[in-house]
Amino acid sequence: MKINKSLAEEILKIRESTLPTRKHSRKVTHWKENHRLRSGEGEALVFILPTKGCSWALAKSGGCSICGYIYDNPQESNFDMIVSSIKNTLRRTIEEGKFSIKVFTSGSFLDERELPLEIQTSIIQEIAKYDQIEEVVLESRPEYITDKILQNLAKNIEMSKIEIAIGLESANNRILKNSINKGFFWEDFEKSAIRVLSSGAKVKPYLLFKPPFVSEYDSIKDVLQSVSKVVSLGIDTVSINAMSIHRGTLLSEVFEEKLYRSPWLWSLHVICKEIKQKYPEIRIICDIVAGGKERGAHNCGTCDSEIIRKIQKFTLTQNIDELEEEMLCNCKEEWKSFLVLEKINISDYLHVPYLEK
Amino acid sequence: MRSFQPFSQQGFARILAETRTHFPLSPGLISIEQLKSIDGYSAFFNFPFPPTYSDMEINEYSLEWNLPEKKKDKALFTSFTLSSQPFYPSYISCNISSDDFTNYVETFISLPEQHKQIFTLPLSWIDSPFIDEVIKKDVSLIVLTGLPSLFNNQRKLTEALVSIRTKLPPDIALYLPGHISPEIYSFLVYTGIDFFDNSIAYFTSKKGYFLTSKGTFSLQNHPSCYCKDCMSSPPNIFGHNEMILKNNLAEIRFALNSGTLRSLVEQDIHNSVTFAAALRQIDRNYSSAFRLRTPVLSSSPIKCIGEESLFRPEITEFRERVKNRFVPDSNSKIIVLLPCSARKPYSFSRSHMFFRKAVKEGIGKFRSILSELIITSPLAVVPRELESIYPAKSYDIPVAGLWNNEEIEVTSSLLLEILSKYSSDTTIINHTYGEGYSNIIETIRTEIPNRILSTSQESSPTSNESLSNLTLALKEIVSDSQNVQIQGRPTIMKHLQAVADYQFGRGVGKKLFSGIIKIKGKYPRDRQIFREKEHIANLRSTDGFLTILPQHAQEIVSLSYNNLEFGDERVSGSNIYAPGCLNADKRIHPNDDILVVFNNQVIATGTAVVSGEDMNNMTSGILARVKKKHKVKK
Ligand code: SF4
Ligand SMILES: [Zn+2]
Repeated sequence: MKINKSLAEEILKIRESTLPTRKHSRKVTHWKENHRLRSGEGEALVFILPTKGCSWALAKSGGCSICGYIYDNPQESNFDMIVSSIKNTLRRTIEEGKFSIKVFTSGSFLDERELPLEIQTSIIQEIAKYDQIEEVVLESRPEYITDKILQNLAKNIEMSKIEIAIGLESANNRILKNSINKGFFWEDFEKSAIRVLSSGAKVKPYLLFKPPFVSEYDSIKDVLQSVSKVVSLGIDTVSINAMSIHRGTLLSEVFEEKLYRSPWLWSLHVICKEIKQKYPEIRIICDIVAGGKERGAHNCGTCDSEIIRKIQKFTLTQNIDELEEEMLCNCKEEWKSFLVLEKINISDYLHVPYLEK
Repeated sequence: MRSFQPFSQQGFARILAETRTHFPLSPGLISIEQLKSIDGYSAFFNFPFPPTYSDMEINEYSLEWNLPEKKKDKALFTSFTLSSQPFYPSYISCNISSDDFTNYVETFISLPEQHKQIFTLPLSWIDSPFIDEVIKKDVSLIVLTGLPSLFNNQRKLTEALVSIRTKLPPDIALYLPGHISPEIYSFLVYTGIDFFDNSIAYFTSKKGYFLTSKGTFSLQNHPSCYCKDCMSSPPNIFGHNEMILKNNLAEIRFALNSGTLRSLVEQDIHNSVTFAAALRQIDRNYSSAFRLRTPVLSSSPIKCIGEESLFRPEITEFRERVKNRFVPDSNSKIIVLLPCSARKPYSFSRSHMFFRKAVKEGIGKFRSILSELIITSPLAVVPRELESIYPAKSYDIPVAGLWNNEEIEVTSSLLLEILSKYSSDTTIINHTYGEGYSNIIETIRTEIPNRILSTSQESSPTSNESLSNLTLALKEIVSDSQNVQIQGRPTIMKHLQAVADYQFGRGVGKKLFSGIIKIKGKYPRDRQIFREKEHIANLRSTDGFLTILPQHAQEIVSLSYNNLEFGDERVSGSNIYAPGCLNADKRIHPNDDILVVFNNQVIATGTAVVSGEDMNNMTSGILARVKKKHKVKK
């Protein structure tokens, strides 16, 4: 069983009560950002497509315990508008230099229920027109990465440019099942990843730092573990995603019950350093969402922006020296004690009832 | 075999020492990391930092005990591993679900022996039958999670603490992790917590709190401290806060060793309404669980500071024993009720010397038909025979003479119980003065048929007027020839019999001290007691209790409440260990003199280390020290 029934039921309950609040129509959004390409620093153009959203989030099992993207997706999509919008934006934005294009749907690009095959094809064809575009990042759950889909891609674009980002989150099936409700196991990811790699495309696994019910200490360990498993498949990029708390999720409820503290930036710092030291050739992407905020990775408030800046710089340059320089803030001690205490006593650590009377 | 051996029980508090070396470790502080100096810590967590790539399944956390280098070789364990933890929670609330917990317990039980020392117990699972399974293993330390959420609910807090501690044998340690304020350490130790950690020092230092043993203050405004860390510039707040935690535990260990923990708890809880209420809850609702584990034999002074003293275990136990075990001489014809004195035993005080003189003048040679009862709070009633034993000889009250309603109620009810043991034609002379005392007398007057005379109604009991009233009243009674034809037991015999009954059980005194009884020896030496010229027991000068010689202990074996049934006909060595004990009387208190019995034969006398109840729950470790062995004649 890849699903823990009681977890799934709980998520579904929250999903059903929150889904009616989702928005009805939206445009394609896009922005440009600095980006580390395999060949060096460059720019990324990110598209968010208003599809009907992730099929897993809409399924009977309720989707992932940590994900509230579905609330931003409309119930119906205007595919012609989507394709023409992309086409126009590309024409206006792509100039000299090197570009990475990320086409995100808050679901799976390769899921035909979200984006019919011909729409996928038209989008890829538009992108393929530009030589400056060196990388195309598409997101998908493993089950949609079929030979048929990959062959269709190969007909329209050079596969080496394609990078399929898969939300693996963790290589540990217990975490996938009992914390995240991912609905697939490591083995499913493994099969799809090999399929992608042998088609000539790249795989970028997302690893989730600090899912619910896992102590921060164990989660650091889990990320490191997952990295080494992923690397053994021949994957050259990992994206470390520190948890940010989405509303309308099980995680959000746990957080509101004061049973969860979002990850420390110190931990991210340690994770990036450890991975880079052991696997210098691996590209590590660590974009921090809601950094410094209560619902995102944060430290004490004093040192947050400095450490976020360092991690951003590191992501861009892949230079470990950016992380080496000793940073001092007296919350570093508190972080250490937090890690131990949370591990020993995962449910109590946020209560300081007697002291704060 | 468990890693801890309990010593010095007081309530649920006890010293836990390493089993083999007897090096004391609890009550103690655990450091969550390996600090430069671990002085003052009982243990520290040792774990790879930052976490490494090594296999997820193996847990490298360990708890390293701070044993002296030269003891380490002999110790049973020098470190524990934190092998497995419950997967929290059920997906609905903060409570761990039953499947998850079952899973955890099963995993735990299947671990190899050396990884089974630490078990994590979420509060909500205290009543699970699984716990019994876990206890059967050699688990030595239980990490209790979820308790702080009850810190504002005294009823649930005490219920939880008592229920877990009654369930666990005394050689299993309880560790309460997290930010626990040091002011409540003593209360928590008293209710059975053995270990705390220094995480609060990290937390408070960062958040700008300054700890003191009396409470938490902000960094901007706190009492000055002249410790090294505070005097350095800039002040090392972490160092100071850490020191407060260590010092508080040192003070608690000291109190446990000197038998004064309860007084310390009473002092400390005055800072918190919740915990003051919690202690009251414990005294009212869980009195017997605490009494059984509180020494009856002691020589530490008792400072009664507040209302909570009225129901502290040794005091309640005293009243219970007087009620259930004290048997007045059936030939007593006169009872004199007297006030207490600041000096103990009362007989040594000026006021009681006056009383004695007045009584002697009045009663003359008929002393043996007279009983004296001292009315006092918080003990209520102390028969003269028991004035020289603990706690009657070693309690202190700040103000005498002011009685609150509860004291009046407790005292009159015990007084009634005792008076009803005398025949109804016994005359009661009330030689007390003041509102509190007269309230008590008025309460009992309607309940008993006896004649009550008052000799100190108008002025203080030591006034000439009252004293001569006392003499006159006595003279009048003894002049009535009916009363003087009979003879009571001699004073010394009454005294020894009462102490023996109090110490070993009702009826023991009569059995042991009949016939011609002589006492030899002078204070400060223990006095020797001879019966028909045979040395049968000693009266200890330290605590006023008896040591019965083993060959005579046999006489009381069927009456004694202090028997430990042993599994062998011979005791080897100087200790009784848990595996040798078949059954211990549940009325045995720690420090009690006990009889070690095999097949109804006393084979040794000893001193209990833990309560009888706990003896039955222990699977390893010392239960009692052997005092003297007795060879059974075949
Ligand atoms: S995390 Fe990915 S797979 Fe899970 S619900 Fe969200 S979009 Fe779907
Ligand atoms: Zn100081």
